[in-house]
Amino acid sequence: MASNKKEEKPKEKPKRRSAGQWAVAWRRFQRNKAGVFGLIIVMAVFFVGIFGSFFAPYPARPDTGAYAPFYEKPSQVRKPPSWLDPEQPNKWKYLFGTTPIGTDVFSDVIHGTKYTIYVGLVVTIITMALSIVVGAIAGFYGRWVDNLLMRTAEVFLVFPSLLFILVFVRIFTLTVGEPFWTIPIVNVQIPAGLTIVILILALFNWASNARMIRGEFLRVRELEFIEAERALGASNIRIIFRHILPNLLSSVIVVSTLTIAYAILLEAAVSFLGFGDVNTITWGQILQENFSEMRTVWWAEIFPGIAILLTVFGFNLLGDGLSDALNPRLRE
Amino acid sequence: MAKHQLKGRKKPLTSRDLIEVKDLVKYFPIYSRGVLLKKQVGIVHAVDNIDFNIKRKETFGLVGESGCGKTTTARLILNLIDPTSGEVFFDGENIFEKFQSANKEEKLKLRRKMQLIFQNPYGSLDPRMTVFDIISEPFIIHKHIPKSQWKEKVYELLELVGLEEYHAERYPHEFSGGQRQRICIARALAVEPEFLIADEPVSSLDVSIRAQILNLLGELQERVGLTYLYISHDLSSVRQISHRVAVMYLGEIVELADTDELFKEPLHPYTTALVQAVPIPDPKAKSMKIILPGEVPSPINPPSGCRFHPRCPQAKPICREKKPELLLAKPKHTVACHLDS
Amino acid sequence: MTETTLNIEGLKTYFFTEAGIVKAVDGISFNLKKGESLGLVGESGSGKTVTALSVLRIVPKPGRIIDGKVEFNGDDLFKKTEKEMRRIRGSEIAIIFQDPSSSLNPVYNVETQLRDVIIAHQNIPKKEARKKLIELLETVELPDAETRMREYPHQFSGGMKQRVAIARALALEPTLLFADEPTTNLDVTIQAQVLDLLNDLKKRFGMSLVMITHDMGIIAKMTTRVVVLYAGRVCEIAKTYDLFERPRHPYTEALLAAVPRLDRRKTLRVIPGNIPNLIEPPTGCRFHPRCNYATQTCKEDIPVLEEIEPEHFVACHEWRNISLKGERSH
Repeated sequence: MASNKKEEKPKEKPKRRSAGQWAVAWRRFQRNKAGVFGLIIVMAVFFVGIFGSFFAPYPARPDTGAYAPFYEKPSQVRKPPSWLDPEQPNKWKYLFGTTPIGTDVFSDVIHGTKYTIYVGLVVTIITMALSIVVGAIAGFYGRWVDNLLMRTAEVFLVFPSLLFILVFVRIFTLTVGEPFWTIPIVNVQIPAGLTIVILILALFNWASNARMIRGEFLRVRELEFIEAERALGASNIRIIFRHILPNLLSSVIVVSTLTIAYAILLEAAVSFLGFGDVNTITWGQILQENFSEMRTVWWAEIFPGIAILLTVFGFNLLGDGLSDALNPRLRE
Repeated sequence: MAKHQLKGRKKPLTSRDLIEVKDLVKYFPIYSRGVLLKKQVGIVHAVDNIDFNIKRKETFGLVGESGCGKTTTARLILNLIDPTSGEVFFDGENIFEKFQSANKEEKLKLRRKMQLIFQNPYGSLDPRMTVFDIISEPFIIHKHIPKSQWKEKVYELLELVGLEEYHAERYPHEFSGGQRQRICIARALAVEPEFLIADEPVSSLDVSIRAQILNLLGELQERVGLTYLYISHDLSSVRQISHRVAVMYLGEIVELADTDELFKEPLHPYTTALVQAVPIPDPKAKSMKIILPGEVPSPINPPSGCRFHPRCPQAKPICREKKPELLLAKPKHTVACHLDS
Repeated sequence: MTETTLNIEGLKTYFFTEAGIVKAVDGISFNLKKGESLGLVGESGSGKTVTALSVLRIVPKPGRIIDGKVEFNGDDLFKKTEKEMRRIRGSEIAIIFQDPSSSLNPVYNVETQLRDVIIAHQNIPKKEARKKLIELLETVELPDAETRMREYPHQFSGGMKQRVAIARALALEPTLLFADEPTTNLDVTIQAQVLDLLNDLKKRFGMSLVMITHDMGIIAKMTTRVVVLYAGRVCEIAKTYDLFERPRHPYTEALLAAVPRLDRRKTLRVIPGNIPNLIEPPTGCRFHPRCNYATQTCKEDIPVLEEIEPEHFVACHEWRNISLKGERSH
């Protein structure tokens, strides 16, 4: 066997850069400037969402009741951004100006960030969980199971989702009594209205992702190494969890990022149209409140809008960057 | 650097038959898609009633062009697809029955006895697993090696196929085609099989690497005592390593004989044409006389009678009407052709 | 003295990739005489395909020709404008590829594709082009040419697709044809048909043929002279007969010894090691890590092509000191 061993000299042993799929992808990602920019935006959004309440200039509005009376004097309503206001000595007082009811737009935006993240993450988690289960079952078993699941998905896709979302949200919010629900074991309070919106959004979003996952599943399933595993005697469960799903992970990550962006945008739309939870001040809700006076008090509408724009843009860039970096074919 | 020689001549074997294939048939239905239901519009006669045996420690070659059914045969023997009818016996046990009725343990035990090496070393390894994971996975599935011995066993297998220990931490994409094929072989050997089906194992490899892998297969046969079914369209490599060869055409075996006998004195017109069509790497060698006209027909509507008759330069009227049987024309040399009866 | 149709000197084509610079062709020189069948043999990474693409100047990005001279019938091709090259491609130099499925456009039928080629270069009325087409398809022995030419590529088998590709390449009667592994994807019996056809057409059209392959059998059958490539460089150039009988480069000898043949069993010799990485190729002679006869010089200096016998060139430092076995001695 001596001559066969001669292939690589033993000095090949020295340290090499890790060649695992994630390490390679990370290195590739770092070179994609747009993707990195997106990542920075996303990280900033998360930071503000988690720690925002500590550094916002003004406290969050009380959660119950709609337009509770406000912290500053009524003379502080409708003030333009302080750096534009000739009458305001303190250029940092109201960075984004104030609303018709006297709240500081900048603080509103900061406090609303956590809802943005909440919406984005929860919708995506539910959607992806559903999509993966449905897509995997359809992809793996095929035939009538596949048929059944995909036709069901198509039913969801066919309906004009926004319309149905609005209708369902209105119906369900009306039936809910209190503004808050408490999760039993951890005793955490979540906003009821917003959660309903989230659930409805997930309901109308899983279908397209399920189709994509199923497609990817089918693609991976036909790869030769899956047949090799079967020849080795691997069980179906093992093949699905240990071989097919991990190879889908890259697509799942990319689609998840884009779903987050989509969810945020959709929630903003729902709230803007007046169907959101008035007790929860999300960015879309801010847009809704201040819309009527947009002509004059433009800063109360523009700045939250820019926040939405930037966030969605950031997630999209991140998704694009990840997609490029995670290109599943590790070149030969 | 010692030169490695692949022995040309193989010694004759005397053991009992390890594999027996009897009347094996596989038809694939073709559907046309309706709105909700599909309708069957045709059948692909992939494998149409084949019979052959493989002796222990033998290398049995199966040759044929595309659509002849050799790959389907391999998958049938390993029960990766279900047969339409027929039986395959492994060491006397009926494989299909076993896979239908036996419990999980028995099925796993049977799986261990036979393994498959694919043509495409690039696709047959999970790109997300290290070589160590790939080779040790059979240990997880079959539980025949305790965890404490995994490392040792993996290194042993790597050495067996001519790779180094440090290769275990690497990923498939870091290796060349030939090395990946070795990893595939190591993985197949991890379950300690008796029978290995090699489906075009060297076709996608570079010429200078093919000899390495063919050589390795030969060595392993001697060292580990393996029996091979070697499937290929490359007749030269089949001649090099097989003891006996069967020629398939459109799902049927048309000729079966000892290797040297088959290539020196082919009896079936298809085999003759096939042999003559292969260019010899020697400018002095005689060039071919017969060029087979026409295309390899589709297995969906095979010709009547002898399936080869439309292209056969020696076809007679009976060839169109009656299908020839595989009969003994000379000692240890069977042919399915009306000309030899 | 037969004139030289193609003369390549010191061709260097590199690929500038993210992972590094792939020196695919690193100093290749050879020529092709008029009416000759020249074999270009090598394994993957040898640079044989890239050489053909370089001559036609259709090297895909991130590849770039960075050095060398290519003369076609005396004209320096690298000095031509893109417009001039477009005129040359197809009508004077043509190429057929390994996979006809990807070189034929799936959305157009055969007639349209071939007609477009003719009309792009010649200004003749459609009817006349059509007649020419039918003749062409009959020349490549496509059965029922007139009816079948209205079909789409996917309706043809591999062998027939390759015939269509050949017809397309020959539509304008080029004088030089590159055939890049044209039969590798085809069944054995179909391969025989196509090779035979190529030989026939070559005689009929009076073309020069460059047969690019890794199959030594095809070399023996189809060519009169051979260029052996390894890892982007030329190892040996010789008349086919001489190459098989008296190879003078260790790689050639090893290659011949590693290839099985159908007419008799032989002892197959293994070439240890792997084809080198072209981003960081071995220093000096690129074959030295796998060579039985390598010396220190081989590691350091790049060997140059020397004419050691009339029409027999070798790039090896040690050719004088080694005696190699030809095909018949195995």
